[in-house]
Amino acid sequence: MGIVEEAHNLRVVGEGKRGVIVLAHGFGTDQSVWKHLVPHLVADYRVVLFDTMGAGPTNPDYFDFTRYATLEGYAFDLLAILQELGVSSCIYVGHSVSAVIGALASISRPDLFSKLVLLSASPRYLNDVDYYGGFEQEELDELFEAMGSNYKAWCSGFAPLCIGGDMESVAVQEFSRTLFNIRPDIALSVAQTIFQSDVRSLLPLVTVPCHIVQSTKDLAVPVVVSEYLHKHLGGDSIVEVMPSEGHLPQLSSPDIVIPVLLRHIQRDIAV
Amino acid sequence: MADDDDVDEPVAEKAAAGGSPILDLPESLVLHILSFLTDARSRHRVALACTRLHAAERATRAELSLRGDPRSPGFLFLAPHFCFPALERLDLSLVSPWGHPFLSSAPAAGASSSSSAQHLNNPEAIFEQNEFIAGRLAHCFPAVSSLAVYCRDPSTLTNLTPYWRGSLRSVKLVRWHQRPLNLPDGADLEPLLQTCTALRSLDLSEFYCWVEDIVMALTAHPAAAAALTELDLGLAGATNGFNSPQLGAIAGSCPNLSKLVAPCLFNPRFPDSVGDDALLSLATSCPQLTVLRLSEPFEPASTSQREEAAITVAGLVAFFAALPRLEDFTMDLQYNVLEAAPAMEALARRCPRIKFLTLGSFQGLCKASWLHLDGIAVCGGLESLCVKNCQDLTDASLAAIGRGCGRLAKFAIHGCDVVTSVGIRRLAAALRPTLKEVSVLHCRLLHTAECLTALSPIRDRIESLEINCVWNAEQPCGVANGTTECNPEVFQEKECDLEDDELGEVSYESASKKCRYMEFDDIDSWEMLRSLSLWFSAGQLLSPLISAGLDSCPVLEEILIKVEGDCRTCPRPASRTNFGLSDLAGFPVLAKMKLDLSEAVGYALTAPAGQMDLSLWERFYLHGIESLQTLCELEYWPPQDKEVHQRSLTLPAVGLLQRCIGLRKLFVHGTTHEHFMTFFLQMPNLRDMQLREDYYPAPENDLMITEMRAESWLRFEVQLNSRNITD
Repeated sequence: MGIVEEAHNLRVVGEGKRGVIVLAHGFGTDQSVWKHLVPHLVADYRVVLFDTMGAGPTNPDYFDFTRYATLEGYAFDLLAILQELGVSSCIYVGHSVSAVIGALASISRPDLFSKLVLLSASPRYLNDVDYYGGFEQEELDELFEAMGSNYKAWCSGFAPLCIGGDMESVAVQEFSRTLFNIRPDIALSVAQTIFQSDVRSLLPLVTVPCHIVQSTKDLAVPVVVSEYLHKHLGGDSIVEVMPSEGHLPQLSSPDIVIPVLLRHIQRDIAV
Repeated sequence: MADDDDVDEPVAEKAAAGGSPILDLPESLVLHILSFLTDARSRHRVALACTRLHAAERATRAELSLRGDPRSPGFLFLAPHFCFPALERLDLSLVSPWGHPFLSSAPAAGASSSSSAQHLNNPEAIFEQNEFIAGRLAHCFPAVSSLAVYCRDPSTLTNLTPYWRGSLRSVKLVRWHQRPLNLPDGADLEPLLQTCTALRSLDLSEFYCWVEDIVMALTAHPAAAAALTELDLGLAGATNGFNSPQLGAIAGSCPNLSKLVAPCLFNPRFPDSVGDDALLSLATSCPQLTVLRLSEPFEPASTSQREEAAITVAGLVAFFAALPRLEDFTMDLQYNVLEAAPAMEALARRCPRIKFLTLGSFQGLCKASWLHLDGIAVCGGLESLCVKNCQDLTDASLAAIGRGCGRLAKFAIHGCDVVTSVGIRRLAAALRPTLKEVSVLHCRLLHTAECLTALSPIRDRIESLEINCVWNAEQPCGVANGTTECNPEVFQEKECDLEDDELGEVSYESASKKCRYMEFDDIDSWEMLRSLSLWFSAGQLLSPLISAGLDSCPVLEEILIKVEGDCRTCPRPASRTNFGLSDLAGFPVLAKMKLDLSEAVGYALTAPAGQMDLSLWERFYLHGIESLQTLCELEYWPPQDKEVHQRSLTLPAVGLLQRCIGLRKLFVHGTTHEHFMTFFLQMPNLRDMQLREDYYPAPENDLMITEMRAESWLRFEVQLNSRNITD
């Protein structure tokens, strides 16, 4: 069995002929976050599910801290998976950080992606001059503080006790709730990677059509971020804001989200 | 262990010289002595003493629960002389990975198109491996007569039973996973009923299948069914129960049953629910029944207004008349049987051997209106009585029961809302010589502190106690410290007691008096209390328990804590407060704990703004567990999110559990991530750990529930087993 398949818990379900769909989950969760969506897709598509490195069910020994210090490392993983499976063109549905990872991968290999569906994506979380990402430096400092203390505790054999709910900022709470489900050392590295990433300058290089979908009330992804993406992405893009709440809408409000995702998967942007 | 010590003691000097006199005994005597040794750790110690005792221990061991993976090279390539000739009871239901299709013909879990080295895909290879493993098992354990096995599909049994066909008397099947959909009815039990001619006892209390499977299997194999004497049809608590024709079919097929446990459909709104006729026909078909436990599986929507059952007192009288050998009877209904006292008197008369009785929703059990005993109190031979949801059981009734059931060793009331601490105290005082186990749950007028003081007559005798923890805001925390100023009140109360007993009259006014008891009452510790079982509603603290009266329990070794409720609607606990497990550190020999949070429901992966999610709740509940230094065995059921169907350990839970360094055994009834499992490798004494998702439906590994996969589990187990253990 290929190392890629085994390491990422790769699964291909469905025998549909309409194409290949790749579902990529965000950090702190795993492929089971798509459980409500998969049944609707298996009839028409071949659905590829995998766990990103560092996610719960993966072998922690495979997590390479240098490779995954930037999001490119994950983009390389994605391309390796597509190559392993021999996929020539796919629809990529990515949640949260994986949406950005998919966009990055599509810059180097636009031929592999017929469209990208970006669920709750954000190019940069930290606020900047003229840019509202949703998080202030102090809030992120608090998060890193908590993760750092978990890490220290874990190394010294103490119980890592800080959790998402302890954060002052509700935005940080919402986003990082699942992040604290990762082992403390990996979690710290992943959090740094995510919050230091800034792919705004790379957005114009994305030429694949993008469907941007997010919740109305996602504390980690303010609605203006979707606007920003729409304006700066290189290829065609369309935005839909769903009347759902939270950063994991495919789990918390599947009845709202699944029909929207299906629509964006099945229909293309009208030019 | 006693035998060993007795022999070794007088000659300790000789033992120091390197030889033990036990070895001077002839071999057959050594083997005979060892066969009395049942405790597993003692047996291990014996086996480690010397090679001769090692071989002798193996020759005499009668019972074994296999853990680990029988597909691992360690087991597959054991030397041929590795054999347990005396082993009769073999438990294979916990082999690793838990819940795996063991010896099944189906390809192992993992629906991906490629497989790892452990999983074989082609049928011949699977078949060969299964044959080999089954053969090895039969070789190691030739004399198995009692077998427990986790059975995902019947091919497991087909592969195992040929070897023990003639000797298997008692089989327990375990399956918490879903029944395979394309199985014909009854196929699960086919291999057993068809080939095992000596089969007498079948235990399906943890085996999920359909009721139609049971009926079909038993009617299709009349000879095997007629040979059965014990049948437990609990079916993992996941069915609606057997209806009247089904019960009749089962009873008809198995006339020799002496033990029957079955969930039944008693709901009178269904046309074929179990009523008087069904019961009578059961009794006439199976007159040899000594143990009969029938229960209604599901609670009705509103428990405050229960409807009447289809079962009448007259029906019950006839029913008891037909079962003269009855010793253990349970009828746990969710529908009321009214005016049940005459039925109880019939029970006492017609079933003279009755010792264990559990009744749910029976009203009018013991009126106790005059001096004479009536209803249940007439059943003088009872040793264990459990009354649930009897709304008119009064303090007087309890006093009558105390007078009438003089042998009662175990007494339980659940949901009896009229009983107060006066009644409990009367009962405890009357049954002081015999009462050893008491359980009081969900009785509206019995708050914990009062209940504990009411039990003071047997405080130094009671061995097992189960109560729910309700902290009354008005109760003073100082009850156990005895700081009260009401001596005269107490003496008056005691005199009152005597008078009341003589007259046999109690008015409701005295029942509502709150009694404070003197300091001397509480000086005694709970000297014999070995097992404590506590029920909490979600969000409640444990800490008030000690001051409520459970302050000194010198021999308490086992504690079971169950939390039930909706954490989503609980007020958020104040910061820095937690449940209070560290308060249990005052119990000096506490060794085993079961912490059951499975009925505490909350948000897992995603929560509305401002709400606590399950990681915070787990931290709240588990904080302080590391102060329990004597704890060596823990079973933990994590809280669940019903929307996500997830029962999994979060980071703080794992971190806190890992700090419990005395733990030798840890069983989690749920799942967790692989990288969290590595935390457990830090625990120096941990030698037995397993994730058991034994709730229905157990998550299938090939669907979308993916946290713990078989490969991850096996990786962890290899690491766990390869560590050095110091003792």
